[in-house]
Amino acid sequence: MTAPLETAEPAAAQAAAGPARLGTLRYALSKAGGALLSIGMVIVGTFFLFRLLPGDPVRNLAQGRNMTPEQLDLERHRLGLDLPLFDQFLNFIGQTLRFDLGASYEYKRPVLDLIGDRVGATLLLAGTSLVIAVSLGLWQGMRAGWRHGSRFDRFSTGTSLVLWSVPTFWLGLLLLLVFSSWFQWFPSRGIQDVDAPDGFGYVLDVAHHMVLPCIAMVGVLYAQYLLVMRSSLLDEVGQDYITTARAKGLRDDEVRKRHAVPNALLPTVTLVFMRIGFVVGGAVTVEAVFSWPGLGELFYAAIRVPDFTLMQGTFMLIAVSVILMNTLADVVYHILDPRVRSA
Amino acid sequence: MRKWLVRLAALGVALLVAGQGQLALAQSPSAGKKIVRVGATQAVDSMNPFLAVRLVSTSIHRWMYGFLTVPDSKTLQPSPDLAESWTTSDDGLTWTFKIRETKWSDGRPVTAEDAAWTFNKIMTDDAAKTANGPAVENFETVTASGQELTIKLKAPQASMLDNPIPIMPKHVWEKVTNLADFTGDEYPAVTSGPYIAVEHQKDQFVKLKANPGYWRGAPKIDELQVVFYDNPAASIIGLKNGEIDLIGRLNPPDFQALQGDANIVQWNKQGRRAAYLQINHGATTTDDKPVGDGHPALKDQKVRQALHYAIDKQKLVDEVQNGLAKPADGSIVPPMYTDFFWEASGDTKVTYDVAKANKILDDAGYKKGADGVRTMPDGGKKLEFRFSIHTDTPIEDKLGEYLAGFFKEIGITLTTKKVEPSKFSEETGVTGLFDIAISGWSVNPDPEEVLATHLCSRRPTPAGEGGGTESFYCDDTFEKLYKEQLKELDRPKRAELIKQMQERLYTDAPVIAIYYPNDLEGYRKDRIKSITSIPEADGILYGGSSFWPFYSLEAVEQPASASAEGGSNTGLIAGVVGGVVVLGLAGFFLMRRRKSVADDRE
Repeated sequence: MTAPLETAEPAAAQAAAGPARLGTLRYALSKAGGALLSIGMVIVGTFFLFRLLPGDPVRNLAQGRNMTPEQLDLERHRLGLDLPLFDQFLNFIGQTLRFDLGASYEYKRPVLDLIGDRVGATLLLAGTSLVIAVSLGLWQGMRAGWRHGSRFDRFSTGTSLVLWSVPTFWLGLLLLLVFSSWFQWFPSRGIQDVDAPDGFGYVLDVAHHMVLPCIAMVGVLYAQYLLVMRSSLLDEVGQDYITTARAKGLRDDEVRKRHAVPNALLPTVTLVFMRIGFVVGGAVTVEAVFSWPGLGELFYAAIRVPDFTLMQGTFMLIAVSVILMNTLADVVYHILDPRVRSA
Repeated sequence: MRKWLVRLAALGVALLVAGQGQLALAQSPSAGKKIVRVGATQAVDSMNPFLAVRLVSTSIHRWMYGFLTVPDSKTLQPSPDLAESWTTSDDGLTWTFKIRETKWSDGRPVTAEDAAWTFNKIMTDDAAKTANGPAVENFETVTASGQELTIKLKAPQASMLDNPIPIMPKHVWEKVTNLADFTGDEYPAVTSGPYIAVEHQKDQFVKLKANPGYWRGAPKIDELQVVFYDNPAASIIGLKNGEIDLIGRLNPPDFQALQGDANIVQWNKQGRRAAYLQINHGATTTDDKPVGDGHPALKDQKVRQALHYAIDKQKLVDEVQNGLAKPADGSIVPPMYTDFFWEASGDTKVTYDVAKANKILDDAGYKKGADGVRTMPDGGKKLEFRFSIHTDTPIEDKLGEYLAGFFKEIGITLTTKKVEPSKFSEETGVTGLFDIAISGWSVNPDPEEVLATHLCSRRPTPAGEGGGTESFYCDDTFEKLYKEQLKELDRPKRAELIKQMQERLYTDAPVIAIYYPNDLEGYRKDRIKSITSIPEADGILYGGSSFWPFYSLEAVEQPASASAEGGSNTGLIAGVVGGVVVLGLAGFFLMRRRKSVADDRE
């Protein structure tokens, strides 16, 4: 489906400005088509994937309480688990297409509501972390790549690799131990104090709660931006056009800012967009360590039951957002870089 | 660029100054109040008592609602709550309760109508059965007239007074059309117990206010808050830095981490749980057909008894539970329930004795092979057993190692088999795919529930539907005693029957109790002035079947200035917050600026 469109593109790109924009649109549409196909496959895959998990959800729901066989049957019927698998599948597809993700087994509430409750907290934490991680990573990666082999390079690359290799939950616990237990600077859990003030005080309270989870997440995330930025800048440093720029008499700073960095920035754009997709899923471990009431924590809780509908819902949301962001990255890349357009 | 940074910093400082003022002002609502914060390592599943099953939720509901009866704070015997008094017909089938004349927190009177509506709702609405369906299974009819509630039973039931159902206000809850979808999040809640829930931030906390009109008298604190942690280690930190004042249900390592803190009281008392080994002694379904793949040797009572003699329970307590448990010289009812606990003595008592265990096996014809492992008397299968444990509970790994060591001494090989938690109850309660499995049960003041888990009827159906058996046990003696105790309304006589049931389990050994884990909790004495456990002597604080500890507790008044953890550090904290934000923004602008400056210059 995508092939004919792509072959048609060079022609479109060579034409005047109007048709070029049209080319971008067609490209975007074809990508969107691909994305829709992927989402469809995710929906189908999700259903069967979660049926393969071990354990009887109804029995697990009982959580060790006594339930009579009649009661178990009743629960099964209520959850639609007594239907043949194929009927369950049809119901599932029908509901999903109507944006009805079903009701959580455990919370007895619509999955979409639960996700709605949580998505804000996750976007706040993961979004902030992403912005900081990208800024920090790109800045350090730029400096490290330009002054390749310098003390700054060795130090920042070393630090980021250490943080990258550290398990997130361990880093989180360490932060808790040092800053929450010893120094008592930061709270140990949650997004707000139980007696949180209103207004601006509330904003500060949330920010206060967000510091440690944010540091934990940034610590783990920023290395990849640093390394990608650094290596792609290194690729550019030896290029002829850099030499030309220097020969023109530009100052070192100008060569870097004007010539090297814009070209080196492209791979990181893809990475940033891909990450935005994952941001919706949150960082399961960070959220679990800091009791952050976000989607990642919800997903984690759902796995433990196991709460099929809730798992399906969160899983699909995460998968779909990754697909959408990847598609967006493709399109943005296409707009940003003429080389991609004409290739 | 420097200009930008200066501007940013100025903005940050301005915000911080403004914020500090706001923060100090806004903290006054909690100042001067007596607040106690309880930590919990699970979140509330539902604030609708018809649906809620998690311990944290049922505990909160015990603090909010009245019940027919509650365990007495000293003896744990059923004592009046919303039911002032009660009588029973001679055949034990008709129970008449006189409901106390008191008021709901919205001022409406509590009547027998409320109780009747609650029970009838559960009996007739399938959605309402979720939390406490089995508790009304034996109810034939429930009727009300004024303050008089009449419950007719299908069969006698001595545990009638241990009913776990909170009485709900009919005038509020009858308006709920679809109970299955109702989260119960309407605040303030209408309650008749010591507390009124006033706020619930999902997965974060529940706030409860003292009920000034509570018939026993208002609690001595103003507010009770339940704060949720996903992570037990973080909750310990929360207790240490004063974010919470009490946390219960700790495991030994977390409990020991509280040592040495002068402000924290370590609460180490006997617990309500029994840990036992479940032995596949020939699992069958309700039609007596064999099911599963249990080792044939375990069908022999002698082998099970030999295993029992080979276990050094004291060593398990010392080294697996870090000494924070009591070796089990009884069965599935822990010693904290003094009325019902049965302790083995004399000839019946099984003590750690490897020689005796070996002798039992030798006499029964299980001969040791060249490799030291015994075989079946017919010389066939070796005595090699699997020990099923949960994948997510490291302490069970350790237990497995010790048991393997003990059993090696008597020529039996034990290998550990890790099972997914979601699969565990299925393998050990339905499909019977195990030899020996770790298990345990938290027992209520009335032990009927745990005893019932060893009834024939609890075995899985031929269709493979689990009935909640804890042992696949089906024993005539046990069944007979169970039926007798159900009819016996005289408590001492009933206790005697229940003890005989435990003795039967102890000697026949379908389950072998290994220890009773202690109730481990911690609280801050600079925040909680006093708290009474349930039972009052050496009992439980959080997670017992009673409102009592959290009704009786007295708090230290909070200083009238800002709350303890907020005030003094606010500047520092805000500074760090500001620092992070400024750093992030600076990085961002740095990137942007460099590009624009480059544009200007070239």
